[in-house]
Amino acid sequence: MLSIEGLSFRYPRGDADVLEDVALEIPAGGIFGLLGPNGAGKTTLISIVSGQLRAGAGGVAFAGEPLDALRRRRPHCLGLVPQEHAFYPMLTCAENLRFFAGAQGLAGARLRERVEAVAAFARIEDVLGRRAGQLSGGLKRRLNLAIGLLTEPDIVLLDEPTVGVDPQSRAFLLDSIRSLAGPGRVIVYTSHYMEEVQAICDRIAIIDRGRVLLSGTLDDVLRDASNLLTLRLRAPLPKWLATEWTTRYALADDGDARYRLRLPDASAIAGTIESARAAGCEPLAVAYGERDLEQVFMQLTRRSLRD
Amino acid sequence: MRRLLALWKKEWLALARDVHGLAVLFLMPAAFIVIMSLALSDAFKDDAGRSTDFAVLGTEDAVLAERLAQSLAGGGFRATPAPADEGAARDSVRRGSRGLVLVVPPGFGRTLETVPDPKVQAPALVLLADPTLPPTQLVAFQQRVLGATLGARMSALATGAGFSSDPGAFDLKRAATLNVEVVGNPRSGRPSSVQQNVPAWLIFGMFLVVMPISSLFIVERREGTLARLVSQQVPFSMLLLGKVGPFFVVNLLQTALMLLAGRYVVPWFGGEALVVPPSWGLLAAVSACTSLAAIGWGLAVAVFTRTAEQAIVLGGVGTILVAAMGGIMVPRFVMPESMQSVVDLSPMSWALQAFHAVILRQGGWSDIALPCAKLLALGAALLALALLVHHRRRV
Repeated sequence: MLSIEGLSFRYPRGDADVLEDVALEIPAGGIFGLLGPNGAGKTTLISIVSGQLRAGAGGVAFAGEPLDALRRRRPHCLGLVPQEHAFYPMLTCAENLRFFAGAQGLAGARLRERVEAVAAFARIEDVLGRRAGQLSGGLKRRLNLAIGLLTEPDIVLLDEPTVGVDPQSRAFLLDSIRSLAGPGRVIVYTSHYMEEVQAICDRIAIIDRGRVLLSGTLDDVLRDASNLLTLRLRAPLPKWLATEWTTRYALADDGDARYRLRLPDASAIAGTIESARAAGCEPLAVAYGERDLEQVFMQLTRRSLRD
Repeated sequence: MRRLLALWKKEWLALARDVHGLAVLFLMPAAFIVIMSLALSDAFKDDAGRSTDFAVLGTEDAVLAERLAQSLAGGGFRATPAPADEGAARDSVRRGSRGLVLVVPPGFGRTLETVPDPKVQAPALVLLADPTLPPTQLVAFQQRVLGATLGARMSALATGAGFSSDPGAFDLKRAATLNVEVVGNPRSGRPSSVQQNVPAWLIFGMFLVVMPISSLFIVERREGTLARLVSQQVPFSMLLLGKVGPFFVVNLLQTALMLLAGRYVVPWFGGEALVVPPSWGLLAAVSACTSLAAIGWGLAVAVFTRTAEQAIVLGGVGTILVAAMGGIMVPRFVMPESMQSVVDLSPMSWALQAFHAVILRQGGWSDIALPCAKLLALGAALLALALLVHHRRRV
């Protein structure tokens, strides 16, 4: 379990906290999704956990032991996959892997074994002799991932690891990341792609403006959607109908002619849609009994994840 | 140590694939050494190198003019046939075909045969001079003219008094034999241009490590590799030391190659070969101290700056300014006294003093101790500053 307690941070000369009293419990064995729009504080949180930044207040512990102390004792226990291509473009893939392994103290047979293992895991064996700067975007992402796994870390921090890749590479990366989950290993996956988080994470936290808005299992977060009707209309509802639906269906206005209604049961769907049509608001999209993280986020912040 | 070796190897690989960086470090200073050694070779020759043509125009007494021309010739001045008249003399100087023409007025010969009377205005000699002539050459020729006329007067008086019948007895060239011995110079006579230029441009080249050090560091920071290494518990001090080792070797290679360029490449283009005293230990010590100061400067620039543009301004332009101030581009002895006190503030000047102590003066450890101590202190201070700035900023 990775425990984050009351973490706050403000950049030097910054006028506001980038993180404000952040508390999270991240159990081992699954993949924890940290979801939030750009600038929410995800990378700052990852930077603090990985030791690049020092928190103003609060602390991080792994299995009850302060992470700083653990990392002094076991420097290899944490692997970071940053959102940048954090390797040397003028070196070959093999040279990059050997360098980052050597910089972490690996040598000899152990180094060779780990380089081969992560190259095989990321399926970059065929391009080991190529300069990293000449690889495609997808291969660069795979190399970036492989470097983060060189020391078989217990804590893997993946900061937007699929940015800028084609759908095929994205699917491969997501499959690879999913296969990393295992007993005793904590994986934190940050992204602003809700469909990615929804696809591979079993627990999530939604973070915005430096604060955790929601945290729990994916099922818990998406639950309570059994009688939820989501509408996207051609035009906003007239005031009289909005007032009526607010009283009857606890209407929530998400803006841009998008609404959520809590119906008593499925039999009310047809009448609701008919009423909207009659009021001149043709439904463009209708969903019942389901919601996604975008809706959850919007419900919490009244903003889109991609804002 | 294993981690440090990995950092050194990475730095070597990155540098070996940076063609432009290698060109800046090795080709540019070598080119400066060859070009500047050849360009300034005349200025450092014993006989002042290039001769200045002159003529003596005797408007009345051609024999006296001829005798003066013979006395004045030598020491960097070459006599040419006298022009037809003063107008032709002025034309030749204006066109630049002669640097100097001495016009001897009518009656001047007779004044040499009498004791000068302060109450009588003697006819004056006129020296026509090319405006592009270096002031030092003009002054030197003036002194030769005064010496030659004094010799002619003494000769005339001695002949009149029956002491001597030899008209050249008072020629300054025969007054005494004067040998110039430049103390400590392994080469006989004055230091050559290549001996002056090799240390100067070698030091400049060594300080140019600021460019590859800072540019790679900025790429590392921008691309997130530095953050990744810090997250892998690689101490920042080790990251900096990872750059010191390879660039120290680069600086020593530069020293060897620049000395070889002075020894073999400059003569190949017609210049003089570099003569280096066999004080290899002293040379290595001076190179090492200069290198540590240069690398410290490179690391400080790398940590201070955030963008490649900032690194070029602070590192590149800063290095050129420190070189200009330190007597690298313009020799210190050419500068006015006020400027010479500023020269001592430049670390390149300290390095130049140490190299000159070894190469030009054949000095010992005591001669290089002070400049080397200054260079080491500067290197250590800059390294400490880089660590401090990083500690305050983090990555």
